[in-house]
Amino acid sequence: MSIVTVQLGQCGNQIGFEVFDALLSDSHSSQGLCSMRENEAYQASCKERFFSEEENGVPIARAVLVDMEPKVINQTLSKAAQSGQWKYGQHACFCQKQGSGNNWAYGYSVHGPRHEESIMNIIRKEVEKCDSFSGFFIIMSMAGGTGSGLGAFVTQNLEDQYSNSLKMNQIIWPYGTGEVIVQNYNSILTLSHLYRSSDALLLHENDAIHKICAKLMNIKQISFSDINQVLAHQLGSVFQPTYSAESSFHYRRNPLGIDRHVRPPLSGLPPLSKMSLNKDLHFNTSIANLVILRGKDVQSADVEGFKDPALYTSWLKPVNAFNVWKTQRAFSKYEKSAVLVSNSQFLVKPLDMIVGKAWNMFASKAYIHQYTKFGIEEEDFLDSFTSLEQVVASYCNL
Amino acid sequence: MGRRRQRVDPAAGARAGALPEAIAALSRSLPSGPSPEIFRRAKFDRPEATSALWQLLFRVLSPLPAGNALASLALEVQARLVKSALCSQGYPRLALAQLPEDGSQGSRELLLALSWLLARGPVPEQMLAQARVPLGDEMTVCQCEALASPGPPAPHMEAEGPVDVRHVQWLMGKLRFRWRQLVSSQQEQCALLSKLLRTLERENQRLEAVLAWRRSELVFWRWMDTVLGTCAPEVPAAASQPTFLPWVPERGGGELDLAVRELQALEEELQEAVERRRVAWEAKAGGCGRGPEWSAARRASREAVEKELGALQQCWERDGGPAQPHGPHRLVRREDGAAGDRDLRAAVVIRTLRSQEACLEAVLRRLQGQCRQELARLVGALPGLIWIPPPGR
Repeated sequence: MSIVTVQLGQCGNQIGFEVFDALLSDSHSSQGLCSMRENEAYQASCKERFFSEEENGVPIARAVLVDMEPKVINQTLSKAAQSGQWKYGQHACFCQKQGSGNNWAYGYSVHGPRHEESIMNIIRKEVEKCDSFSGFFIIMSMAGGTGSGLGAFVTQNLEDQYSNSLKMNQIIWPYGTGEVIVQNYNSILTLSHLYRSSDALLLHENDAIHKICAKLMNIKQISFSDINQVLAHQLGSVFQPTYSAESSFHYRRNPLGIDRHVRPPLSGLPPLSKMSLNKDLHFNTSIANLVILRGKDVQSADVEGFKDPALYTSWLKPVNAFNVWKTQRAFSKYEKSAVLVSNSQFLVKPLDMIVGKAWNMFASKAYIHQYTKFGIEEEDFLDSFTSLEQVVASYCNL
Repeated sequence: MGRRRQRVDPAAGARAGALPEAIAALSRSLPSGPSPEIFRRAKFDRPEATSALWQLLFRVLSPLPAGNALASLALEVQARLVKSALCSQGYPRLALAQLPEDGSQGSRELLLALSWLLARGPVPEQMLAQARVPLGDEMTVCQCEALASPGPPAPHMEAEGPVDVRHVQWLMGKLRFRWRQLVSSQQEQCALLSKLLRTLERENQRLEAVLAWRRSELVFWRWMDTVLGTCAPEVPAAASQPTFLPWVPERGGGELDLAVRELQALEEELQEAVERRRVAWEAKAGGCGRGPEWSAARRASREAVEKELGALQQCWERDGGPAQPHGPHRLVRREDGAAGDRDLRAAVVIRTLRSQEACLEAVLRRLQGQCRQELARLVGALPGLIWIPPPGR
């Protein structure tokens, strides 16, 4: 089952490159810690999902690159080609000459409709190349101009044209002390639009990844490249093939099996230790949890701690809310690795904060004219606030 | 000039295009067969036809179905393998064994070798059978696979208590998700079916080529006679020729011994590990489930299962169906009605399956009756509830 990735904006393209790179280098890694046949099944599954094969054997990423300026796309294309291991398709990118100045409204109302046909054409060609198409993976940032506004528009279009396919958006949550003044406006507009048209939102916070780089990896001068690589590592360990409980004979066919507003905390590197569970109010209630284990001793790993009903809402039994995916094949030189993908109240606090800040700005009508100029009226803002407040409320009431 | 024309068989000359057609059919029926032009050049021992013929002989003689790995072997390796394979089959001409392996000369010898192989056995048919498309051609008769796979998980129903609307929303979401999975599976099935159709078309074309070849091969053999005629006569020294065995490196002996020893050690290790696991499991499994109620329950369920299995087995054996081997069977249409001892006749299989179906339906009806009784009992316990059973079948 193949996934088509849509990389949007500077953020989306840079991260997309790192993800494909991480996936392929893990697929080629020799320390799989499993039998050869197992390894071959793993490699074949990874290849079919993310790459298509060309005559001379160089895998081509199943990806569409979109940006309003050519610089980042060109860099991405050449980095991929330089690796010699894989590359992007020749006609898989769309870019223009000018940027959009971090203006969400311009991305959504002007760039989107103007370039809708060309972008959807490229996407359609990529989808047609797949023998068995399972869905889209859209990488974008929440707070920038191009990635966020255009991304919201493209996701909406994908929902219209491919309503039977799954769409998962990978969203980058900006730094709290971010660079862009209107990032909170952009964020709430993006989130409210995506909530309607996407099937799953996978959120990563820049702040959290920054902390990983600083504390766990001891990187002194943290660059965006470091951040993107950590992110790609996490995504790779989510997306690479696994077995699930129902079908232990072949690798799970559909990787996009996650509910809305999913959000992964850190990927733990040492084996999971048994968690001591009192009815601790600190635990965020979850709608769903997914644990993905890779490497040595996965069969004997103890995940009973995750089945405690105290972790979940009252109207959902742990057996329905908790899933484990396993594979013996180790990921990317880590003897054991574990990822937790969680749909829980964990996101309430950051979301609430962003909504609060955006509301404060809105109350004084700061910078609104930049949006109304291009067709995003005050009602649209109010609609966004309303839907996000509803999301916060439903999560609080879990 | 006149003389040469007389040597040509008049019947063959009358059908002027017959020879190229025959050779074209031959090359279409062989995997990646060389063009008729190569054949013509080989008759005159042209060097440029040599490598194509080495590769063709390699494809014909290699025991494995073609894959990328085989095609990428160097010409010298392919040539050496062809020589040893031909020798082990008893090819009589010495000149072939003495050919250089770089593809620089010897196309006529290779052409003679090819026709020797073609004369010995049904080469195009064998190659077709090797490369046939198995899908749609086979079916399994035994029920092992169907019984082993667990069915869809039983839906979990909560009989009591108010249902949270969020749970219903969650179920809706799950349903929508499953629906989309179904749609994309169906799309995948369509794409794969069209791929399968294209492969089958190609196979059909090969089949037609083989038929055409069989109709016209006489022309080819007459032409091969002329090819043989142009060769110098061979020295009949077959008796004194040492048998040409494939070269086995002497060092290999020691390595093989080492490999054998390592495998034996591994086997011992694995047996020990299995034994340890089994003991541990028995300790664990034997530990749980003590007490009279447990053993009584276990005995009761075991007896029930044995009874059911016995009933089913009796039902099936009563009709005296033959013991059905496992695994897929190939569907073959035979005019003569003769069957090998491992073959199953379709009529017999159908009869057996029908009787099995009848048995299983009887069991199903019995179980449905039990369910209905149980439901009636439960409903009877709730006063004021009206029970309307579904219309009986």
